[in-house]
Amino acid sequence: MSHTTPEDLLALAHSVEKRARELGASEAAVSVSVGSHTTVQRREGKVERATAATTRGLGVSVLVDGRYSSHSTSDLRPEALDRFLDQAVAATRYLEPDPYRGQADGDLCGRGTTDETLDLLDPNLAAHSAEDRGSAAEAIENKLAELGDDNVISAGVYVADGSGTTARVMSNGFADVSRGGWFARGGEMTLSEPGGKRPEASAYYSARHLADLPDSDFIAEEVVRRAAERVGSRSVDSGTYPMILANRATGRILGVLGAPLSGGALHQGRSCLKDKLGEKIGSSKLTLHDDPWRARGLASRPFDGDGLVSKPRTIIDAGVLKQYYIGVYHGRKLDVAPTTGGRSNWIIPPGERSAFEMAKDLPKAIWVDGFMGGNSNSVTGDFSFGIRGKLLEYGEPVQNLSEMNVGGNLLGLLERLAEVGNDPWTYSSMVTPTLVFDDVQFSGL
Amino acid sequence: MSAAPSLDHFLDFGITENEWRTVLAEATAFGADDADLYFEHSTATSVGLSDGIVNRAHTSVDLGVGIRVVVGDQVGYAYTEELTLKAMLEAARIAREIARGQGGAAPVPFGVRATHGSDFYPVARHWSDVDVGERVPLVRAWEEAAFTKDARIDKVQVQLADADKYILIVRADGQVIADYRPMTRAGVSCVLVDGDRREAGGYNVAGRSGLDWYTPERQARLVSESVRRASDLLRSGPAPAGEMPVVLAAGSSGILLHEAIGHGMEADFNRKGISIFADRIDSKIAPSEVTIVDDGTLPGARGAINMDDEGNATEKTTLVENGVLRTFLHDRISARHYGVDPTGSGRRESFRHPVLPRMRCTYMENGPHDPGAIISSVERGIYCETFSNGQVAIGAGDFAFFVRQGYLIENGKLTEPIKDVNLIGNGPEVLAAIEMVGNDLEIDEGGWTCGKDGQSVPVSQGMPTVKVGKLSVGGGAR
Repeated sequence: MSHTTPEDLLALAHSVEKRARELGASEAAVSVSVGSHTTVQRREGKVERATAATTRGLGVSVLVDGRYSSHSTSDLRPEALDRFLDQAVAATRYLEPDPYRGQADGDLCGRGTTDETLDLLDPNLAAHSAEDRGSAAEAIENKLAELGDDNVISAGVYVADGSGTTARVMSNGFADVSRGGWFARGGEMTLSEPGGKRPEASAYYSARHLADLPDSDFIAEEVVRRAAERVGSRSVDSGTYPMILANRATGRILGVLGAPLSGGALHQGRSCLKDKLGEKIGSSKLTLHDDPWRARGLASRPFDGDGLVSKPRTIIDAGVLKQYYIGVYHGRKLDVAPTTGGRSNWIIPPGERSAFEMAKDLPKAIWVDGFMGGNSNSVTGDFSFGIRGKLLEYGEPVQNLSEMNVGGNLLGLLERLAEVGNDPWTYSSMVTPTLVFDDVQFSGL
Repeated sequence: MSAAPSLDHFLDFGITENEWRTVLAEATAFGADDADLYFEHSTATSVGLSDGIVNRAHTSVDLGVGIRVVVGDQVGYAYTEELTLKAMLEAARIAREIARGQGGAAPVPFGVRATHGSDFYPVARHWSDVDVGERVPLVRAWEEAAFTKDARIDKVQVQLADADKYILIVRADGQVIADYRPMTRAGVSCVLVDGDRREAGGYNVAGRSGLDWYTPERQARLVSESVRRASDLLRSGPAPAGEMPVVLAAGSSGILLHEAIGHGMEADFNRKGISIFADRIDSKIAPSEVTIVDDGTLPGARGAINMDDEGNATEKTTLVENGVLRTFLHDRISARHYGVDPTGSGRRESFRHPVLPRMRCTYMENGPHDPGAIISSVERGIYCETFSNGQVAIGAGDFAFFVRQGYLIENGKLTEPIKDVNLIGNGPEVLAAIEMVGNDLEIDEGGWTCGKDGQSVPVSQGMPTVKVGKLSVGGGAR
């Protein structure tokens, strides 16, 4: 597109913001983004799929006579954009006024930290070529072939990267640009097993900088190790077991916290954490930070979706709930100061011992390193998830597990956090170590 | 009724036959076994109500073209949101890289052919001709009706979303095909409070339909089902744990088919040998009363398509016939691999995604049993009525689905309501464990969305009442 530099994007955002006000909006917030991404997938010694695109888009939210709406388009031709804005403002007039809408005071908005601190764009990304991707994918594929035995039915490799730039302009005076890039690599493997099952496993890694990804051999070894752990899996007796939740798998369980912590859920009476601020909601072993300033963090950001200045926060401190996620709109509805409308990087500070050291103290425990379906109820905190993992005795694997569920209530589970490992997972925005919980309900046979 | 989908829609965006020909020629310059251009223009609107105010709307416009070049089972794909010849040619040159040095077939010169013959979703007016102002009274009325149903209602949220999607597919075999696809979805969600108990429940309806699809009956059901579900949740207890017989209610229980067999029948997984069903065609996998189909032809259904996203006619595909595994779901790549006709199952979320074999509306045909007799045959088990989501491991065959609401079955009768429990099993084992199939097939009207490889597509599902001898229920100790 013609708007490619940050200055061009900002200029377009400013012009759309101005045009929206000319059409009758009392305020407007405009985001203009461009990006590109490339993916290569290999299987059976050749490229299975290669995808590439340059992308663009514009989003605008407007307040017209106290009425609120938001709009997005990928059709940035000038005449189309004019028509789009006309229709956006006209559509808004049909709605009913919402006295809680409106942008934050301009003083609350801006940048919490510098791009240099965030370091979200690898300077090597621009020069990363099709040949680089191809050789990375081949290296993982070759190692998979070397490690795999006769039971391998098929193995695939995934190599991708991308980058994007977004300019944001608001009528309260906010105007800024955020940029970032990412790399992702991984593989998957399907094995044959007597009886006709074809157990599969995958391992994927992503990072802001290429140098932070594991090397090809490590990725292939993890794929092969994880696939071997799926062979011969079955369920064991229902009952309570200690749960060792692998560092890479914590997201699904901790994610249950996300909805009830939000201002929307609190205001709509859909939160099991309502009126719990300052109260103990988990074990004193549980501390959870939200860190938007984490260098190279996958969810790092200089400002949030409302344009509010980003800053690190402690959400849970030694089991005590310290903060909710409250954006500008729900802050007004709840009559509290906004914090931020959505999470950034979640960090659980590491403990002392490795996953194996923690496991070998336990006569019997279920190691969970993946999930299969399941859901949670933000109003009650109840959850039920299918699991993938293995039964351990004093840290030694005795049975690979499938067709089992883990269930309970979030608050009860958090109280039973017994130990935090020393092995934070750095390939996601949930930077958490392996966690051990006592007395967790598993159902199987 | 609307005019037939027109090849001319993209003229407004400067896309003429000259552009098709030039871009396709560039894409196939290294040769190709298959190639296509997928132009898409979508407009969508949603209107929402919270706290008694119709207080938000969102509209979106999506415009772009996806260019695909296929050599054997290798796919090169690129897309652009800028429909200038320069941007499209650039995308074509990226997509064709897959074919470099491979000596694929030379492109076929094409003539402009007719559109497809089907019209499974005629609408009186396209959604883009309906003002936001016409949506507002509906949303408001549903909220007001909900509050009259139950004094324990604390909060009501309502959303009405709809979209028009115009697509134009230009294929290297000379076919040029267009479709217009409407979609609408309405949801009502209530929070009920009773003493210190609080629950949120909801109901939604969705279809490839226009505004007049919202008949008084459908609107009434949308509201009353939402309140009933929230109300039932308030008196529901935890589910039991362990393996037990499970009765699936007619309707959205089709989620079991979607996860237990549907994904495993998508031919891309089988072509690669990574589905548990890969070598089981023509083998008996379920009792004779089990017939399972995937059907793109149900008028107005959310999963209906006049043609798939590579221009193949849609159809009703029999996956399992009287217990015997019959046909995979094919796109053109897998159809070529297996030497069969495509089943009209090649779908994509948008121009940003390459085609994959996908489900449309998956359901089980009626069996011989009275639903009441099915329930009374169970001494102790659970009855599953509403669902939220599911997942499957294609190769191992393990699958799960989440039951929002159901009942205990004790001595052949529905007793205590239960909620929020994950059920887990193995696809082939569960299909073999089907013991009774009811005579009350219902296609669910809910807004189901299927995810695969990062792509979401709208689907439907259905089921008669079915008894499965044994599934693992993820509740707590009782």
